[in-house]
Amino acid sequence: MKLSHHFIIFITIFAGFWIDEWISEFNIREYIFLADNIPYLIETSIGFLIFCYWVYAMPEKLHSSAALIHGLIIDLCFGSAVGFHMLFFVSISYIIHVYVFRFRIFSYFQLIIFFGTAAVFYLACKYLIFFPTNYSYLLLIFSFLVNSAAWLPIYFGMRSFRRTFLK
Amino acid sequence: MARTTPTFTPVGKYALAIILSFFLLISDINYQVFSSARGFVQATGIYGLLIIDSVTSNITKFNVIHKDKQKLMKINKDLKNQLSILRNIVFLEKKSQVLASDLINLQGEILTLSQAKETFIFEIASFGLKNYLCCSSHTLYLQNPQKLKVSANLPVANGNSFIGQTSSLDINLIKVILFSDIEHILPVKINNFFCNAKGAGKPLRITCTVIKSPEFLKIRNNDPVFTSGLGGVFPRNISIGRVININNSVSNESKITIALDASPLESNYFGVLINL
Repeated sequence: MKLSHHFIIFITIFAGFWIDEWISEFNIREYIFLADNIPYLIETSIGFLIFCYWVYAMPEKLHSSAALIHGLIIDLCFGSAVGFHMLFFVSISYIIHVYVFRFRIFSYFQLIIFFGTAAVFYLACKYLIFFPTNYSYLLLIFSFLVNSAAWLPIYFGMRSFRRTFLK
Repeated sequence: MARTTPTFTPVGKYALAIILSFFLLISDINYQVFSSARGFVQATGIYGLLIIDSVTSNITKFNVIHKDKQKLMKINKDLKNQLSILRNIVFLEKKSQVLASDLINLQGEILTLSQAKETFIFEIASFGLKNYLCCSSHTLYLQNPQKLKVSANLPVANGNSFIGQTSSLDINLIKVILFSDIEHILPVKINNFFCNAKGAGKPLRITCTVIKSPEFLKIRNNDPVFTSGLGGVFPRNISIGRVININNSVSNESKITIALDASPLESNYFGVLINL
């Protein structure tokens, strides 16, 4: 794969993490009076899901080295510690590579469950490692629902993007 | 079946990548090994955003200033146009006033110039140089090939000033009597003093014999001498020379010697104002 294609892929992943940052800055509790005392409930993982899509769509072109480099740059730009996104990108890349053709026969619902669960696992580890005091099951449940709902738009949107720019 | 589909998944590389990532993560969490690099990258991003924000705000500010400037320029242009219109109006009013004044003056001049005059140029025919240098009769003759009817007592000039006046017309030759001729009398004005200057019989000299008066006492050497216009031949206030000598005798009479500016020897052509 061309370097420009890697660059385009990274731009989309970077944009996904930037959207996550932008959404996390939007505090819905300020707009709901009753929600003022409840903990933070929703955390999106759009960037992580976009990376998952690229590995799922082009497993033969994105290997461990690409996952490692993408994870390193994302760690440097957005992470709290170098190695976290590297570790999860490599891990999810390995799982997708192993089961990529099994995933191809999955239904959209099964894909939603799988990638939603993966995103929640990623969030759970993130909160457990970096923000253990903010960890809550409500956060994981709501985030699972949101990230699962976000998978299909990401999937179709990125597929359209890939067919347009990465022929 | 799908699981057995051949895919290239090098476990060793992934294992190595996972171990490396884990090692980096532990070292960074426990020892902050990459905190400076991470901080540098994130600070660079923040500066980038600040620069973009600054550029955006500057562009917005520039647009606002540009719009304000355009408004000011439009107002300035309108004011300039109004000022130009006002200036034109004032100028035209002033000019109309001046024109009215000029018309009034012109009416006066027309009345004065009811007898139209025109200048003709004549070439010298003869000059009595001997008499001019030695004697009291100072005359010259001008050619008149066009046979113009030139009457007596018309002013004659040599281009610088008047030198004399016509005396007679002799067989198409115009006789001119010079100021310095002893028979010529020219009314002159020195400051506010008036006198009739007679020809001294010497080149470029005329004299006034006068009775002492308070105005006479104010006359000094080198005072300019002008025609007074009282003789009816020459126009007034034409410079003809200056005072070179004031002879204060014991008696009441004094003689003022005047040096003329225009020499008849300096030119071969002379102009004459002829009544048409």
